Amino acid sequence: MPDLALSALAPLPLMAAALPFLARPGRRPGALPRLAEGATLAALALAAGSLGQLLMMGPQVLDLGGTALMRLDAVSVTMALLVAFVGWVVTRYARRYLDGEAREGAFHALTLAAVAAVLVLVQAASLPVMIAAFVATGLILRQLLLFYPERAEARRAAAKFIRVWGAGDLALVAAALLFWQGLGTVDLAALNAAATLPLSAQTGIALVVLAAALKCASFPVHGWLTEVMEAPTPVSALLHAGIINSGGVLLISLAGLAQSSPGAMAALVMIGGFTALFGALVMLTQSAVKTALAWSTVAQMGFMLLQCGLGLWALALLHIVAHSLYKAHAFLSSGGAVQAVNAIRKPGPVAVPGLGAVLRSFGLALLLYGAVAAGFTALVGEKSAQALALGAILIFGVSYLIAQGLADAAPGALTRRTLTASLAAALAYFGFQVVAQAVWGPSLPAAPESGALEWALIVLALLSFGLAAFAQALFPLWAHHPATAGLRVHLANGLYLNALLDRVIGGFRSPSRS
Amino acid sequence: MFLKHAQVAPTMVSRLLAAAEAAARAVPPAFPLDATVAVNPFLGQTGEDLAMASARLSRVAGAALTAPRAELVARVRAGTITDDDLAAALIASPSPLKPRDLAEFKARMHAPAPAPQALPTLAELAANATGTDWPAVIARSFGLWAAGHFDRGQALWTPRPGQGAFAAWRDWASHDLTPEIAGLRGFCAHVAEAPDTPERAVLRAAERLGIGPEAAETAFHRLLVDIGGWAMHARWILWQAELTGGSDTTLTDLLAIRLVWEEALLAHAPTAAGDWQAVVAAHTAPLAPTPDQVLDAILQEAAERAHQRGLDALLTGPAEAKARPVLQATFCIDVRSEVFRRALEAQDGRIETMGFAGFFGLPLAHRAPGSDTAEAHLPALLNPALTSAPDLSPAVEADLRIAARARRAWGRFRQAAVSSFAFVEAAGPLYGGKLVKDALGLGAKGLAPEPAPRIEGGLTAAQKVQTAAAVLRAMSMTEGHARLVLLIGHGAQVTNNPHESAYHCGACCGQTGEVSARLLALLLNDAETRAGLPAEGIALPVDTLFVAGLHDTVTDEITLYPDTPEPDHAKDLAQARTWLAAAARTARAERAPRLPGASPADLIRRATDWAEVRPEWGLAGCAAFIAAPRRATAGRDLKGRAFLHDYDWQKDQGFATLELILTAPVVVASWISLQYYGSTVAPQVFGGGNKLIHNVVGGIGVVEGNGGLLRAGLPLQTINDGEHAAHDPLRLSVLVEAPAEAIAAVLEKHPSVRALFDNGWLHLFALKGGQIAARYRPGLTWEDMGKATRKAA
Repeated sequence: MPDLALSALAPLPLMAAALPFLARPGRRPGALPRLAEGATLAALALAAGSLGQLLMMGPQVLDLGGTALMRLDAVSVTMALLVAFVGWVVTRYARRYLDGEAREGAFHALTLAAVAAVLVLVQAASLPVMIAAFVATGLILRQLLLFYPERAEARRAAAKFIRVWGAGDLALVAAALLFWQGLGTVDLAALNAAATLPLSAQTGIALVVLAAALKCASFPVHGWLTEVMEAPTPVSALLHAGIINSGGVLLISLAGLAQSSPGAMAALVMIGGFTALFGALVMLTQSAVKTALAWSTVAQMGFMLLQCGLGLWALALLHIVAHSLYKAHAFLSSGGAVQAVNAIRKPGPVAVPGLGAVLRSFGLALLLYGAVAAGFTALVGEKSAQALALGAILIFGVSYLIAQGLADAAPGALTRRTLTASLAAALAYFGFQVVAQAVWGPSLPAAPESGALEWALIVLALLSFGLAAFAQALFPLWAHHPATAGLRVHLANGLYLNALLDRVIGGFRSPSRS
Repeated sequence: MFLKHAQVAPTMVSRLLAAAEAAARAVPPAFPLDATVAVNPFLGQTGEDLAMASARLSRVAGAALTAPRAELVARVRAGTITDDDLAAALIASPSPLKPRDLAEFKARMHAPAPAPQALPTLAELAANATGTDWPAVIARSFGLWAAGHFDRGQALWTPRPGQGAFAAWRDWASHDLTPEIAGLRGFCAHVAEAPDTPERAVLRAAERLGIGPEAAETAFHRLLVDIGGWAMHARWILWQAELTGGSDTTLTDLLAIRLVWEEALLAHAPTAAGDWQAVVAAHTAPLAPTPDQVLDAILQEAAERAHQRGLDALLTGPAEAKARPVLQATFCIDVRSEVFRRALEAQDGRIETMGFAGFFGLPLAHRAPGSDTAEAHLPALLNPALTSAPDLSPAVEADLRIAARARRAWGRFRQAAVSSFAFVEAAGPLYGGKLVKDALGLGAKGLAPEPAPRIEGGLTAAQKVQTAAAVLRAMSMTEGHARLVLLIGHGAQVTNNPHESAYHCGACCGQTGEVSARLLALLLNDAETRAGLPAEGIALPVDTLFVAGLHDTVTDEITLYPDTPEPDHAKDLAQARTWLAAAARTARAERAPRLPGASPADLIRRATDWAEVRPEWGLAGCAAFIAAPRRATAGRDLKGRAFLHDYDWQKDQGFATLELILTAPVVVASWISLQYYGSTVAPQVFGGGNKLIHNVVGGIGVVEGNGGLLRAGLPLQTINDGEHAAHDPLRLSVLVEAPAEAIAAVLEKHPSVRALFDNGWLHLFALKGGQIAARYRPGLTWEDMGKATRKAA
């Protein structure tokens, strides 16, 4: 069959390798873990093969009796490669890490199944397939979260997760029904091409946004993501680098549809932007490394939703890829945090930039931005207002790096190094963005024309991120002021939304009585 | 200031505060993981024997302090513990509750041991009364606060520095709404109105909770156990303060915090008051072991006697003396050295190895390249007296520091709020490469050698001679030196392991032994030192060269540091390297079968694998400490379970070295052995938990999963291969080749060391002619065990 993408077959070796574990779910199941790693490599090879198919044949859809099942396009190949790659890293890691665990075999089987389900999810060509993959992913992940079922904390985390995840699935089912009713199709390609949207479809889009927000652990339902360190480290890596992206994939797969609803886009900007800032602030207060990483994921997923809301789909996909790779590594190497913290203390006190240095750093950063943006515009052409705004937000972040080098107490050599690093960072992300636009841009809608609503959102985002960046650069000057002590307590507790959720689902009850 | 308190009488005040102090001292310190050393978890109980400590920890922690009875009985059945062992242990027990005779002992030991049950806290009673899991709420809320308060640099936004723990917690808890959301209405106000000093808070709570002075010690201890490793971390802060002559109140602060919670919960769940009164009454009852605890302690002793029988059979007298050896190598006394030493000696009959504490007697604090802070490189019991630093030019140092600061600035860029997004977009894709590198084990940095160290400020000729002579005497190395003498410290190359420092040298305070060994080698090769030593009565041959090395205990590879150029010894060095490489292969072949799924070649991979939770077994299995000339143990397979310290009492004037050995290396070894013991028999209280869900907190320790209580001690994976325990919990048997009277005289002089032996936390034997001659009995007496006596009997 010429239209069968190899990556659509990628889940098969994984499932095949998972099966023998049914017979050996316990400790040290012989060569099976090696086989599991081999299966992930096979999946990776299939995904790579489908990249060749895409280059040769262009996008494809596999359908069965008129229902689209799996697709082959730039987005699906990218995600399949990413998921298979992370799957390989995680499986290889788990092969050593889980050695000797009482339920070692079961762990490998569940991991393989989870990777397989996510592989289906990211390549689904229609909502029913996607929903089935979502449900399967949720059920498998729940089992992984309950790897130590005797831990009450693990049971609580799993209970939260499955409720939020399940709510997202329900929203998606409802959305699919509404699309079927209003547009007569649930194929992603057909949905993206829909010209006019009846009210039912508009409602469906709202439900899709809701589902994405739930799956991405957006404010205020982020609580489930920050407690899943109850499972062994490879599960965290897989979750934060693979599964958590599914909300973003959902949106990007329905980009055309979502973009036809300005309300949905505005909602995404607001939910995503707020979650990004909220998660990033909470992250600052977390002293446990995995917990801080989890809050960072909340923030990064929020930022990705913001990019979706601005219509910067290719950049959102870039963010998914970049964040997954970074976060998988960060979780798997989190055992090094003792050394890392020790190393921070060694070279003496941190040079604190004053107000003047911070202002200079912002000025320098904007100059840098102007130069780099002008350069890239000259090279690859005009950028949309949204893209320029996003670049400004990112450059606000870089200003912090510059500010550290401009602090009065910083020696000249340090200033030079941080400036070089800042320039490298700016060039790197603009470079990656150009690549992202070139690779994925053609298959995704362009950012919408900026009307009044769009402009309002852009200004709002710029102002809030700019303010946060400014506050961050001045951070040491106010963080320990007694006036901010209460704020720190509330933020460290994630504004108590998790505690409230616990109260609702009975997470505070004694285990014996629940 | 306490006199103002209306209700509590002055004597009551001082007795309650004394009980708080006693409870604090009952908690063992936990060293931060960046430089951790093993600590005796029963440090606060060394004045009691095992049965009594069992009674105490049963009450306050629900922990049993002996190996599970069923396991020991299985050994009796299998015959590894004999009737003689049982009878001897039974006779040795001083308890009036012990079985009358062997028959009763054997009959009773088959009954299952009752599971120890801690007395409940008010939080537990309130949980029963209200259905809300208050202990979990406390662990979560307190743990989140403590993680921030004790954070050393993980979070960018830490609490305001410089506040005492109690004041800081009041600030926190009067804002934290979590307890109120969980249903404890008015908790913030309760905290805000709590007394302003920890002492007052303790006294008020004791009064409201009806805890009298008799109940207070174990009631307070119970609450400190309840906050787990956080209390142990606070105890470490006190330990460090007292080491330098200061003091610290953090631990009392934590007790006060926990008591403020209990107060609030009593008010919240008044129906728990009845049960609580019964608990206080139980705390008031004097501590006494139960007959079961006595029986278990005797059974435990029988297991140790069975092990001692094995040692006795192995120690049959010294090997023959050798002519001048061609190579001498001094290793750390660490049990992991034993395997390697045996392997090295087997390469050639003219090789001699020695054992000495891995800090080589130099009381160092060392400043790493590009660092401002000097880290202790000596046993945790001692204070550094010398500072060393890398021998680098100021310009190179400055470059290193700038590089480190630039890395730190980049790290803050990665971590800070808005810039974290820019970081991910700019650098995220590059992590794909890092993932591949680390997944394939190509990213490990290993134990990269530092530049050669030097003593800061240098030493005068007289100081050099004095230091060198003192160290050589302590090592019993005053004569018979080979042409080449290796001084080999040790460290462990592990990757991505929060407990890395626990694998390093305990005598170097959780650092590797590299710096100490290199400095001693430089000192002993120094011309001024060599010129002055004959006046001290130590004649080093002119052709003797000292070379430092580092034994990687994961891979058994040895790195040599030829810091002193000596072209005449090129051949000797080359030969030594050949022997070391061959010994490494032998040692790996011996060690690999103990590690699950390992082959000798695989040990090298373990060092660089970021997913490896059992890179090696550390000191698991340690059971004996032998201070004697190597000839007494040479050629005997001690299976990597013995600390070996070279000691020749005939050269020890005034038994100064004996005193040093019994008060320093023996104490350090006891801490190690009892840490393994405690982590094995009471993992919930003294174990470090499951590495698979470890979450490093504040750069100081780990919590399991989401957070809550700090877990100090050894993680499950370091003492268990998944199926079987890798450590047999036995109290250490110390064997010293010296006259019994001399040993007793040292103990008499050092009551705290004597307590370890008198209360059975360590066993002590005197060796004579390389054979066990006498067993120490409490009260400075000896039981003759000479071969002649035993034959007659």
